[in-house]
Amino acid sequence: MQTNFTLEQLADPHVAESEKILRRCVHCGFCTATCPTYVTLGNELDSPRGRIYLIKDMLENGRPADEEVVTHIDRCLSCLACVTTCPSGVDYMHLVDHARIHIEKTYRRPLMDRLIRGLLAAVLPYPARFRAAVVFAKLGRPFVPILKRVPALKPLGAMLDLAPASIARPSDAATPGTRAPQAERRGRVAILSGCAQPVLDPGINEATLRLLSRLGIEVVVPEGEGCCGALVHHMGREEPALDFARRNVDVWIREIDNGGLDAIIITASGCGTTIKDYGHMLRLDPAYAEKAAKVSALAKDITEYLSVLDLPKLEPKRLNVAYHSACSMQHGQKITLAPKNLLKVAGFTVRDPAEGHLCCGSAGTYNILQPEISGQLKARKVRNIEATKPDVIATGNIGCITQIATGTAIPILHTVELLDWAYGGPQPQKLSAR
Amino acid sequence: MTLIPHTETDAAYVIRNAAAQGTRLSLCGGNSRVGFGNPVEGAEAMSSRGLSGIVDYEPAEMVMTARAGTPVAEIEAALAANRQMMAFEPMDHRGIMGTSGEPTIGGVFAANVSGPRRFVAGAARDSLLGIRFVNGQGQVIRAGGRVMKNVTGLDLVKLLAGSHGTLGFLTEVTFRVLPVPQSIETIVISGLDDAAAARAMASALSLPVEVSGAAHLPQTVKGRFVGGALPEGEATVLRLEGLAASVAVRAEKLAAVMKAFGPVSRLGQDKSVTLWREIRDVHPYADGTQKPLWRVSVAPSIGHQLVAALRLEAGVDAFYDWQGGLIWMRMEADPEAELLRRYIKALGGGHATLMRASEQVRAVTPAFEPQPDAVAALSARVKQKLDPAGIFSPGKMAGAL
Amino acid sequence: MSEAIEFLPPRPAVLSRRTAIIADLTDLLPAECVIHEARELVPFETDAFISYRRLPLAVVLPKTTAQVAAVMKYCHRYGVPVVPRGAGTSLSGGAIPQEDAIVLGLSKMSRILEVDYANRTATVQAGVTNLNISEAVGVDGFFYAPDPSSQLACTIGGNIGMNSGGAHCLKYGVTTNNLLGVKMVLVDGTVVDLGGKHLDSAGYDLLGLVCGSEGQLGIVTEATVRLIAKPEGARPVLFGFETSEEAGACVTDIIGSGVIPVAIEFMDKPAIEICEAFAHAGYPLDVGALLIVEVEGSEAEMEATLASVVEIARRHGVKTVRESQSAAEAALIWKGRKSAFGATGRIADYICMDGTVPLGKLSYVLKKTSEITDSFGLRVANVFHAGDGNMHPLILFNANDPEDAAKAEAAGNEILKLCVDAGGCLTGEHGVGIEKRDLMRHQYSDADLAQQMAVRSAFDEGWILNPSKVFPLDGRPAA
Ligand SMILES: Cc1cc2nc3c(=O)[nH]c(=O)nc-3n(C[C@H](O)[C@H](O)[C@H](O)COP(=O)(O)OP(=O)(O)OC[C@H]3O[C@@H](n4cnc5c(N)ncnc54)[C@H](O)[C@@H]3O)c2cc1C
Ligand SMILES: Cc1cc2nc3c(=O)[nH]c(=O)nc-3n(C[C@H](O)[C@H](O)[C@H](O)COP(=O)(O)OP(=O)(O)OC[C@H]3O[C@@H](n4cnc5c(N)ncnc54)[C@H](O)[C@@H]3O)c2cc1C
Ligand code: SF4
Ligand code: SF4
Repeated sequence: MQTNFTLEQLADPHVAESEKILRRCVHCGFCTATCPTYVTLGNELDSPRGRIYLIKDMLENGRPADEEVVTHIDRCLSCLACVTTCPSGVDYMHLVDHARIHIEKTYRRPLMDRLIRGLLAAVLPYPARFRAAVVFAKLGRPFVPILKRVPALKPLGAMLDLAPASIARPSDAATPGTRAPQAERRGRVAILSGCAQPVLDPGINEATLRLLSRLGIEVVVPEGEGCCGALVHHMGREEPALDFARRNVDVWIREIDNGGLDAIIITASGCGTTIKDYGHMLRLDPAYAEKAAKVSALAKDITEYLSVLDLPKLEPKRLNVAYHSACSMQHGQKITLAPKNLLKVAGFTVRDPAEGHLCCGSAGTYNILQPEISGQLKARKVRNIEATKPDVIATGNIGCITQIATGTAIPILHTVELLDWAYGGPQPQKLSAR
Repeated sequence: MTLIPHTETDAAYVIRNAAAQGTRLSLCGGNSRVGFGNPVEGAEAMSSRGLSGIVDYEPAEMVMTARAGTPVAEIEAALAANRQMMAFEPMDHRGIMGTSGEPTIGGVFAANVSGPRRFVAGAARDSLLGIRFVNGQGQVIRAGGRVMKNVTGLDLVKLLAGSHGTLGFLTEVTFRVLPVPQSIETIVISGLDDAAAARAMASALSLPVEVSGAAHLPQTVKGRFVGGALPEGEATVLRLEGLAASVAVRAEKLAAVMKAFGPVSRLGQDKSVTLWREIRDVHPYADGTQKPLWRVSVAPSIGHQLVAALRLEAGVDAFYDWQGGLIWMRMEADPEAELLRRYIKALGGGHATLMRASEQVRAVTPAFEPQPDAVAALSARVKQKLDPAGIFSPGKMAGAL
Repeated sequence: MSEAIEFLPPRPAVLSRRTAIIADLTDLLPAECVIHEARELVPFETDAFISYRRLPLAVVLPKTTAQVAAVMKYCHRYGVPVVPRGAGTSLSGGAIPQEDAIVLGLSKMSRILEVDYANRTATVQAGVTNLNISEAVGVDGFFYAPDPSSQLACTIGGNIGMNSGGAHCLKYGVTTNNLLGVKMVLVDGTVVDLGGKHLDSAGYDLLGLVCGSEGQLGIVTEATVRLIAKPEGARPVLFGFETSEEAGACVTDIIGSGVIPVAIEFMDKPAIEICEAFAHAGYPLDVGALLIVEVEGSEAEMEATLASVVEIARRHGVKTVRESQSAAEAALIWKGRKSAFGATGRIADYICMDGTVPLGKLSYVLKKTSEITDSFGLRVANVFHAGDGNMHPLILFNANDPEDAAKAEAAGNEILKLCVDAGGCLTGEHGVGIEKRDLMRHQYSDADLAQQMAVRSAFDEGWILNPSKVFPLDGRPAA
């Protein structure tokens, strides 16, 4: 579509990039149909096409962000369903990233909003702080009904709702060091421990370590690695996000230089999408551009990596698995078949719930910041999943696991936990509890 | 005396004069349906018979243009020579009406006729691509065109189709035609009551076998089809058409499923052609009587409920042309218009058209289903825009129409 | 932004009451259903015909027929123009607003109300997307036949507005042939039901008139449509030809032979490349033109139909014939075709023409079309429903270059006139909108147009419904 930017505006590389993206949009409206917020709210302003237009108008006029624009951009889940749908190849992801940075720079949020966002940004990316917060949350739980009645405090209520009822037992899956494989060594990878996942569900990486070890893969948990930066990145906090990215790039480049890496394994697809984008995020930083690109190229979702290892075909089991594809998996990383194929080869019966393209409403901190839309999407997702009458739900992202678990009694696991079990690991606790 | 213009210009001239003088005109073609619609007082007949002949026929493009007064027979002959047909199966209703004129193609479209293929191939309106007509002010108007797809402006073509000569005088029609199916076969399920037949037909039509006609012929009428050759018991009949090989395969499949409903037999090509023509022409009620005959259009699944409800209160005979979306009902004595229309409304809506009745009955019975006030008012405004002087058979359809 | 096509000048009496109108609408509807902040109106200023844009006065997104009626009653009383909007995918500017108009969007009315298999009908709210209907009944073996390429997004209300067609309309007809009834709010707020689950009308075919009326006769809030049992099988087959002319002649012969496939779609070389880049459907890249011919039915039937089609294609020197081998492959072939317009955005801006021509003129018009675009120094890609002669030349240009944009518009006008002169029409399925409004006199006489406008007036005497569209601005009846 036509754009109106001055040469001066285009001198800013962010603006120049956004202009290129906008030029590709032909306003065909296809993306509206698969956007979870449009489908839920029925307002074009809460659709990709509407948001693209709002962003275009804001950037063209070089205007600071205002309440209206912020409202509709905040409602975006960054699920990237629109990117999958768009026939014209509009890179909405980087456009909305830019818009969020612009908002963060030019818009002052109301006090309560600022506090909550500040709190999330200060706690979630840091496992120790997050662990402490979860303990607090337990104490806060009785206040949830009160919090939910005050609009500005709803996010707090949502936060407490989502916090796990019990704290996971401590695990050494995140302890730095190199794990030699049990079988003959076939490869060497690093694994991302990340921030929230080890607190919420350390079992996922434990299963990954066990499985890779049996498959002959040496796994490194590098010293000094941490949050991938996605949480703050989606809040438009550009510098902190880049700092997280640089730190991880340094860590992994160090590992690559000492002993080499076949891949950087990620077990949370949300993080995977961001790490695969490091190359783009740091493209303007001459000191990091090349290294970041190298890291992004090595980043692999665990199912992507397992797919090339040729796992043996196993006898069919009588277990129906509803596979929920996380948005970051299917739209962010375009990984659609690999997880399902792995499960099938491992003998599970895989079911595809209807409206698989729609987000479950988790979306990073979205379920905390936009509890109402998130709740509606969760209910819809659970309805679709339950309609397939599964014994268990599998997915590849910790956010979805936390979100969906609060909506259904059916156990939900990470795909790799089922695979580990099928290939000789212990039965996952969530299943034995049944 | 009937006015018979021989050119479109003459027609326009006649109509302009009539409008100026407030003379009412009753438009017709071959007048094969004399005695249809509400009687209109003091109207002069004007026929399109003088505007006759096929103007253009491109078999390769499946499109024909003909003057409105062209006899249907002439058109069908031309089509048959190229193994083509009008997919909507225009009925020959001279039998039921006891009339003898020569039906014209303009009359077919002005009455928006349709047959047993209605649900799959549409009515006359769905095949009509373009028209020329003279409006009530004597202006020649062109609408639509000669291509299949055309959304250029308001679709006056649909409006004129089925307006029964109350909106304009058709002078030329352009319509789509289709190849005649290579092969036809009929599956007959015997001995079903009306309700069971409805279930059987619904099930048949949801199968991927492309049923192109479905009818239920109760015991009272069954014997009058194909010279009494249908098997014992009520007959529920399903038509399959297409390439011979494909019809054979589909017939197998359909018969296999229909067995669950009752004994299944089959009719081959020739008998099938006869059967469906007779269904189209409402053969059992071409009985030489003046007994009130209704053409009822309702959602197929309520057809038998409607008939059952009426039977408790009136003498009624009926058969069902499901894919035509119709029930044909012959009343023993009174037309029972109010009763019938009340039940139609109660069962979810539709309409009943009185096709035949004695002069006395027609004089007091609205032939067309009365419309809700808002729709009637809207229709009256539409009529006013095409026929401001109100000269085209005012009141023939209903109210001002 | 192009300026060649004018809109009606805004009614001063409406503009001056803006604040009051917004306040009144806010009284009539829940808060989340009224949009009036300047910034929030911008995304509603256009549809998929983005060369033209106008900010509306306000946008309302009612949730019920009663709310639609209340808005219409109000707008009728105060003479406020109303522009209905479905998904805003119109390619002719049908849903573009104007400064004094309320956009009435149906996007919050998106529920499927009833599916009735016994009668093979579905009743849905106007904002339900076309594809949603087929998806809802697909598991039970049914589908809704008209399939515009935009079916993922476009609404049934918009389909009725434009009488939309699609690839499979060759066999099953367009919207008007598949529509059984509507619930519609008239300009003064009266609610009427036209048609229903039964077939045809008791009186005048007002339903037929409403279909394709581009939002000028009333607001459709619910529709009852015909469902069709899915065929046993369906298989798209790709036929590659050296030249567009050969492919065009082949289409004419296929139809002429009496074999009627479900769909015959045409793509020329530029279109093939564009679609393949997006969909990776395996379209042959070494041919000059491609036909996608879909056959359906039982295995025997598909074989037989296909054999006749292949036979005809051979006579026209077909280079490659490729049958899809699986359902997934078939889906990809259609995905590529249906994404064609959008995918064109990868290489350039475009405007999409929609003229229909008699089949015998297909090759001639294709040739002339490229002569016209050549003479303007523009590129063109052709991808369209060939079986019914409905052409879609996509004229490629650079929207940031005003001169280029003007040339594209001028070339488009010439192509449309060419279609009319060849015995066809200006628009086969996208509607007149504003895009072709000023060309209407090329197809119709003054009397023809006057008659259409008079009928339009019977529904909306004051011409407040989507008033800038369809009919040339001069020569309209005095309100
Ligand atoms: C109410 C009615 C319903 C019918 N329903 C069916 C049906 O469902 N299926 C079916 O197969 N057949 C039906 N028919 C029969 C169908 O009308 C005839 O096949 C056809 O009309 C015969 O043509 P004709 O020239 O004898 O017409 P006529 O009997 O002369 O006229 C038929 C109707 O068309 C109008 N008309 C005729 N010529 C013109 C013209 N040039 N311009 C404008 N109006 C004109 C007349 O006013 C009249 O209303 C129906 C007939 C009527 C009257
Ligand atoms: C990429 C692409 C491909 C396309 N392919 C096709 C194709 O193959 N075939 C085809 O026919 N079209 C096609 N179109 C055009 C477009 O999708 C259709 O015209 C569609 O029907 C518009 O639906 P909508 O819901 O977007 O309506 P809008 O664009 O919002 O509106 C269309 C018209 O209908 C009116 N309207 C909308 N809703 C209502 C209502 N409820 N009541 C009354 N009036 C209403 C509007 O005022 C407007 O005049 C395509 C468009 C795009 C962008
Ligand atoms: S699908 Fe792509 S091109 Fe179409 S409106 Fe959405 S972003 Fe723009
Ligand atoms: S990222 Fe998801 S929520 Fe955001 S606009 Fe795209 S589809 Fe909608």
